[in-house]
Amino acid sequence: MRMGNRAGLITAIVLLVLLMFIPQLAPHLHLAISICTEVLLFAMAAMGVNLLVGYTGVLPFGNAAFFGLGAYGTGLTIQFWHAGFFGSLGYGVLASIIGALLIGPFLLRRRGIYFSLLFIAFGQVFYFLAYRFTDITGGEDGMNFVRPAVEGLGWQLKDESFYYAMLLFFVVVAILFWLLVRSPFGRSLVAIKENETRARYLGLNTDRFIFVAILISAAIEGLAGACYGLSIMFAYPLLLDWHQSGNIVLMTILGGTGTIFGPLLGSLIFVIGNDILSSAIPWWQIPLGALFVACVLGFPKGILGTILDAIERRRGGFAYEARDTMHGTVSSEREIQP
Amino acid sequence: MAHVAPEIFNGLILGAFYAVVAIGLSLIMNLTGTINLAHGSFMTLAGYLAFALVSAGTNWWFALAAAPLLTVIVGIAVERTLIRPLYRRDPVYSLLLTFGLSLIAEEVYRLIWGTNGVPFSPPLALQGAVSLGFTYFPAFRLFIAGALLVIIVALVLFLQRTRLGLRLRAAVQDNEMIAALGTNTQVLYMFNFGLGILIAGVAGVLAACLLGLNPQSGNALLMPAFVTVIVGGMGSLTGAVVGGLLIGVAISVTTLYLPAFSEIVMYVLMAVILLIRPRGLFGEEGIFG
Repeated sequence: MRMGNRAGLITAIVLLVLLMFIPQLAPHLHLAISICTEVLLFAMAAMGVNLLVGYTGVLPFGNAAFFGLGAYGTGLTIQFWHAGFFGSLGYGVLASIIGALLIGPFLLRRRGIYFSLLFIAFGQVFYFLAYRFTDITGGEDGMNFVRPAVEGLGWQLKDESFYYAMLLFFVVVAILFWLLVRSPFGRSLVAIKENETRARYLGLNTDRFIFVAILISAAIEGLAGACYGLSIMFAYPLLLDWHQSGNIVLMTILGGTGTIFGPLLGSLIFVIGNDILSSAIPWWQIPLGALFVACVLGFPKGILGTILDAIERRRGGFAYEARDTMHGTVSSEREIQP
Repeated sequence: MAHVAPEIFNGLILGAFYAVVAIGLSLIMNLTGTINLAHGSFMTLAGYLAFALVSAGTNWWFALAAAPLLTVIVGIAVERTLIRPLYRRDPVYSLLLTFGLSLIAEEVYRLIWGTNGVPFSPPLALQGAVSLGFTYFPAFRLFIAGALLVIIVALVLFLQRTRLGLRLRAAVQDNEMIAALGTNTQVLYMFNFGLGILIAGVAGVLAACLLGLNPQSGNALLMPAFVTVIVGGMGSLTGAVVGGLLIGVAISVTTLYLPAFSEIVMYVLMAVILLIRPRGLFGEEGIFG
């Protein structure tokens, strides 16, 4: 956190209060509560991506595999094992972690753009599995399921109560994430991001650190995907597709990588913008694509990163931050590594 | 066995497409560190431009030559204005940018040429079948096999035997050194990108006639091309060819016997090869040799 602890804490509290009153505010803003839930869940997924791209320095352009595995894990266990609310979410997260355990060792073999290439390719495996195994997954049409009641209590969460449950998950994940990136483990990840060779010479087993980061990222994305599955009560192959990965990476970059609140801001703009555009114009993919281009060329540090930079410049301070190495200002060396 | 032979030949043709697309992708990737997710969109563009030219009454052969060149002009314009600022920056930016471009392109094709595909057939001279002695085979497929072979051979000769090819290979190894020795690397990057798009364009026109033409048709070849790059070994031309053919045949044969696994098989192949050879079949460090 570059903002300093107090500013960060105040922002967090203000945000939390705001998020708690969303169900009351949403009707006045002409927003469906389900869209607000979606914002939270994609913010969570973007947090998972942020751990890799913003703190570890590897690019997860196939991350939707974990998101979709979460949704399918939840849906399939509800369908076939009659899992409850929390149980099905747990299975969803488990499915993502298993997915990460399977493809993680392959990804670790390369770095730089080759890592991204491997990630895109291996991520697609799950897309085709869901697409092809029609008997189990419903294939291209996807699978419908019913949101189960909370175990033991029999509560049937919907709309507002479901939103609050998701908010609770979001806050818990955000706090854990904050603790994680400040822990020695999180610091080691930043060290790897800045210079992996140096980190290795300092005695870090960088492969293992990146692997664990991928697993944690997959768990976060899996939870987000599992919750998303429960939210729309539907799982379909495009959730696993690399286009979905691109969307989540964009949300992360748009908000600001390496920041705690960035993913929420990115998700807010993306999800609501997408919702408004896709219902307003049939060719909404053009402004969506333009958003990608504009973000890359106009806000490479993300909206929050740009704002934080401006504040810092006014103060005349200089704080070295993990994100700064992303922009080629530090080293002129090529990014391609073996 | 009799019905496997044509499947293998079809697989080789499909594989040749993967190889050619993979070569274009890795040309761009090796020199500039850009994964061009819009590569498939350029192929589709070339296909549609050729379709538009033929619809306007030109000769198919003229369209085959002109459409890729027009696509190269678009490609170079994109490279100069949008992709160039991203060299030397984190690969995430070029990935996101080219991904955004592919979204825009897809929608533009849909607006101009409609959501459903358009029929685009090869010239009459190439329709019909040719006798191979033991069996008959569609003439157009034979033509495509020959054309893709010519592209690959021409590219190898260009990279190995010309000064410009030499400079390209040198720049992949050390772009600062070659800049210091007096090569304008910005022009080299532009040329390289254009070359990648030219190959994609020719393949795009041929693929449009063989595999169909719709707003997403080029993108369908993108993922197998990624896998081809990984399987063949990044930076290896031989690898791209062998990897592409291997994947093409594997897909064709699997489609015949186990259709449910036809997409998965290339990923299985990729995983197995990565386990045995982490750098891919012919992997070297970023040199086209």
